[in-house]
Amino acid sequence: MVIDFLRQVFADRLQRTAIVWQDREFTYSHLLSRLDHWRSRLQAEGVAPGTVCILEADFSPEAIALLLALVEHGTVAVPLTPAVQTRKEEFIGTARGELAFRVDARDEVSVSPLSFTADHPLYDELRRRGHPGLVLFSSGTTGRSKAILHDVSLLLAKYTTRRHDFITLAFLLFDHIAGIDTLFYVLSNGSCLVTVPDRSPDTVCRAVERYRVEVLPVSATFLHLLLLSGAHERYDLGSLRYIAYGSEVMPEATLKRCAEIFPGVTILQKYGTTEVGTLRSRSMSSDSPWVKIGGEGFRTRVVDGILQIKAHSAMLGYLNAPSPFTEDGWFITGDRVEVNGDYMRIHGRDSDVINVGGEKVFPTEVEDLILQLDNVADVTVYGEANAITGNIVCADVSLVRPEESAAFIARVKGFCRQHLQPYKVPVKVNIVDRHRFSQRFKKLRRRSG
Amino acid sequence: MREQNDIIQILYAAIDELNPQLPPEQRLEKSAATVLFGEGGRLDSLGLVSFIVAAEQKLTEMADISLTLADEKAMSRRNSPFRTVATLAEYIGERLAESENG
Repeated sequence: MVIDFLRQVFADRLQRTAIVWQDREFTYSHLLSRLDHWRSRLQAEGVAPGTVCILEADFSPEAIALLLALVEHGTVAVPLTPAVQTRKEEFIGTARGELAFRVDARDEVSVSPLSFTADHPLYDELRRRGHPGLVLFSSGTTGRSKAILHDVSLLLAKYTTRRHDFITLAFLLFDHIAGIDTLFYVLSNGSCLVTVPDRSPDTVCRAVERYRVEVLPVSATFLHLLLLSGAHERYDLGSLRYIAYGSEVMPEATLKRCAEIFPGVTILQKYGTTEVGTLRSRSMSSDSPWVKIGGEGFRTRVVDGILQIKAHSAMLGYLNAPSPFTEDGWFITGDRVEVNGDYMRIHGRDSDVINVGGEKVFPTEVEDLILQLDNVADVTVYGEANAITGNIVCADVSLVRPEESAAFIARVKGFCRQHLQPYKVPVKVNIVDRHRFSQRFKKLRRRSG
Repeated sequence: MREQNDIIQILYAAIDELNPQLPPEQRLEKSAATVLFGEGGRLDSLGLVSFIVAAEQKLTEMADISLTLADEKAMSRRNSPFRTVATLAEYIGERLAESENG
């Protein structure tokens, strides 16, 4: 079975701590017994393999045991964290969820049926293979998020090789490919996963000190916040061996500063996409933006300056968009890269997409929403460089008739906050003269520098 | 050079503008000692970024000053200028003195 290799690891480490959650330690023995509990329950309730199961949860002992049980039972798991609360109904509809599991703040689980029938051809293909599935969401170009279906048997293949056993902090999200990668890397090596109630620098550093965390996978934005907060000076971070970062372009100055502050720590860049998973990588040095990526099951090539990846573990496809693969099966990442021998430097998206702290914002989604407001004639959404989150979202709006600017700006931001995830809400809203727009032949989004 | 107190008043105006947009637990008090970010601070990353932008905009509106506060200069300081309202006011004062002298 697909997770037998994990069961073997767990059985070898029964008394070792698998998960730290709310400052309590849970052993591999506990994880194994909860996995068995959920397996029996899925069988007892007659949940058919191939059923699409929504898993509303964050990293916790029950969430992890349940995810493993759903995989072992051959269902399609769709993890959703509180971070996507505003889009939850849309995501459940897109994934055509049939059954919902909700793990609450006390780590108790409730189960309820949903009204959808999961009859997508890609689900049929997965059921024909008899393999478990995983659906993850990533930002879509038109504002509709893309639902990405993985064959979990392929996704897990790279974890069957035992690697290093490191105490690791669960910083990245439970419903992101990078968070899933952290989870399976830790479980497949019988290591300890330390979860945190929030991701502020003080909370993270406190957990590193208390549980002697060795690997800290984070974002560039987190490292900026860490430096600003000074939390690294208030806690003993001497246990750290690796800081891994990815998902947004890291300014060289931040990298150099971190290398100075953490002289004994190897700082390495990770690269992955929701469509193909996380690649193995090696940075040239801790303070270098140059990285070698690949590893078993992955091939890379650069076409017209854009990185393409061919992956054994690539997704089956999008549930709600056409295939993004080339005819010969390569995934076009959209990331512009510079090549120097075996090493690459990743410059990020060659498009209008705005990267806010590692989260992608497509201007059209925000524009379409603002256009629904009364008195809006036109709107252009663009990114502006910011030293903390990489970029911020800005909107230039022209009005149909004059309106008091402070009230209007508050109205735009309030409406966006109701309908968008927080990082997509424009930080700057400027009211602009309509003429400036009408003289332009087409909408030109200012590019951040 | 501007009086420190003038700059603090401008930061209070930024707080007034930002507070209604923040969830109740992140709202800031108008006091020089208010912690913005770091130990005991209330803002999260997006809250901090929004506050800095509001402060930049108020500086322009109220004092005709154009400054980018969140830049490499600020990030590379050993002590963060975004620690409290007072440290930010001090940092703005320094930056203005630099531009007047330079």
